[in-house]
Amino acid sequence: MNDDSLAIRVQNVTQRFRVIHERPDTVRELFAKFTRRRVSYHDFEAVSGVSFEVPKGEIVGLIGRNGSGKSTLLKIIAGVYRPTSGSVEVRGTLAPLIELGAGMHHELTGRENILLNGLLMGYSKDVMRERQEKIIEFADIGDFIDAPVKQYSSGMYMRLAFSVATEVDPDILVVDEILSVGDFTFQEKCLDRLRRFRASGKTIILVSHSLSQIEEQCDRVILLEKGKLTVDGKPAEAIHAYLGENLVEEPVLVEAPSPRA
Amino acid sequence: MTELFRDTIRYRELIWALAVKELTVRYKRSILGFLWALLNPILFMLVLTVVFSKIMIGAQPHYAIFLLSMLVPWTFFSQSLGYAAESIVGNADLIKKVRVAKLVFPVAAVVSNLINLMLSFIPLILIVLVMRHPFYWTWLYLPVPILALAILTLGATFFFATANVYYRDVAHILQIVLQVWFYLTPIIYSLDFFPPKYRIFFKLNPVIYVLNGFRLGVYYGLLPTLESVIASFVCAFAALYFGFWIFRKHQDEFVFYV
Repeated sequence: MNDDSLAIRVQNVTQRFRVIHERPDTVRELFAKFTRRRVSYHDFEAVSGVSFEVPKGEIVGLIGRNGSGKSTLLKIIAGVYRPTSGSVEVRGTLAPLIELGAGMHHELTGRENILLNGLLMGYSKDVMRERQEKIIEFADIGDFIDAPVKQYSSGMYMRLAFSVATEVDPDILVVDEILSVGDFTFQEKCLDRLRRFRASGKTIILVSHSLSQIEEQCDRVILLEKGKLTVDGKPAEAIHAYLGENLVEEPVLVEAPSPRA
Repeated sequence: MTELFRDTIRYRELIWALAVKELTVRYKRSILGFLWALLNPILFMLVLTVVFSKIMIGAQPHYAIFLLSMLVPWTFFSQSLGYAAESIVGNADLIKKVRVAKLVFPVAAVVSNLINLMLSFIPLILIVLVMRHPFYWTWLYLPVPILALAILTLGATFFFATANVYYRDVAHILQIVLQVWFYLTPIIYSLDFFPPKYRIFFKLNPVIYVLNGFRLGVYYGLLPTLESVIASFVCAFAALYFGFWIFRKHQDEFVFYV
């Protein structure tokens, strides 16, 4: 692939977690080591050997069952996790919309959080001041903008987070499932914005369990199964494979909403 | 080390915002609000002053100033470490969801306490005025020990912030350590109480060199000796170097433990 047109390159990425059973977070763990009592754990590969490239201006969907490694992969791309092995290259600015309330402090007001959120993403105070009004306007949550965000409904959270992440005008937007929280009109507003994002040559990575949304929005879909990339192709193709996989094991889960925390 | 310097400059706006957030969030919804940040140490100083001026009467004229000149910077040191131990764990939400240079959190903890330190000079100045203690020109020298103290504190902050990620006991142990440390440091008493042969023992305490400049400048109107200034900066930079080294080595793992 031509280097100039590349937005993200993921090369052979593996993420291993150490899952400690009933983790002693304390000095007890140290004592356990001294007394040679084993701290029991197992290693878990959330993502194993995943490689793909995303050219600029593409909307890529990530699908897979719960625990297939979608969110972990997103966090690696967003730079929250440093992968155990492999490498990730991201060209341009990236705004993560990974979980509700990411980068917000619940005691601060919406307005204060806009600034904090922007600074966390690496934008300057001046830039955020400049965009503040537009962000508030798009989020459209009325007087709540001056209330601490802990009083927000999950919809309001999402409106504000989406508004900040898209209004700062990143080159790459990473969205994890959170669109499902907004109501119908706001979802439309978001999708419309995503479309315009793509039209201006930006890159979007979208995780969703709403297969219709994925099929409609994405140019390309990647299917993850147990941390491995199994399909990377046209939306219809990946969705077909995903449904096929699920039909065999758990047909009920196909369109069920994800019980994400 | 250059990384620390570069990132601090680069993220200065974020660090400032986090430091202010630290102060506002802590005192939101309390009636006195931000005043608590000042009242707490002031009340503690008051108690100590009242108790010890009676006991130490005659030993040190203007005991309150003698005490406060060192208690103010010590309070900064101990409060910073208290904040710092929680600075990574307490910001787990941010660390787990946003890519952010981890060092901004300990640095912000120290900066927010530096703001407190500056403000707590106000009661000290008032007491100096009320007691008609002379205002020595050596007050002008105070930025030097403040700098050394900030560097030393930052180093310790990095160390304890890291340690607390792995063992949450650290925050609790730290409180006890700080109490003992407080009494082992000549803050409420003077080193002169001890025969010279015991003073060598105090020289092992790195905080002493840094705090000494405050008392000399405010209470005695003297400047520290060159050796003592050098010692204070050697201790400060050694702490910073060691603390940041540990922090840097582990920072990519924090996200898995918080």
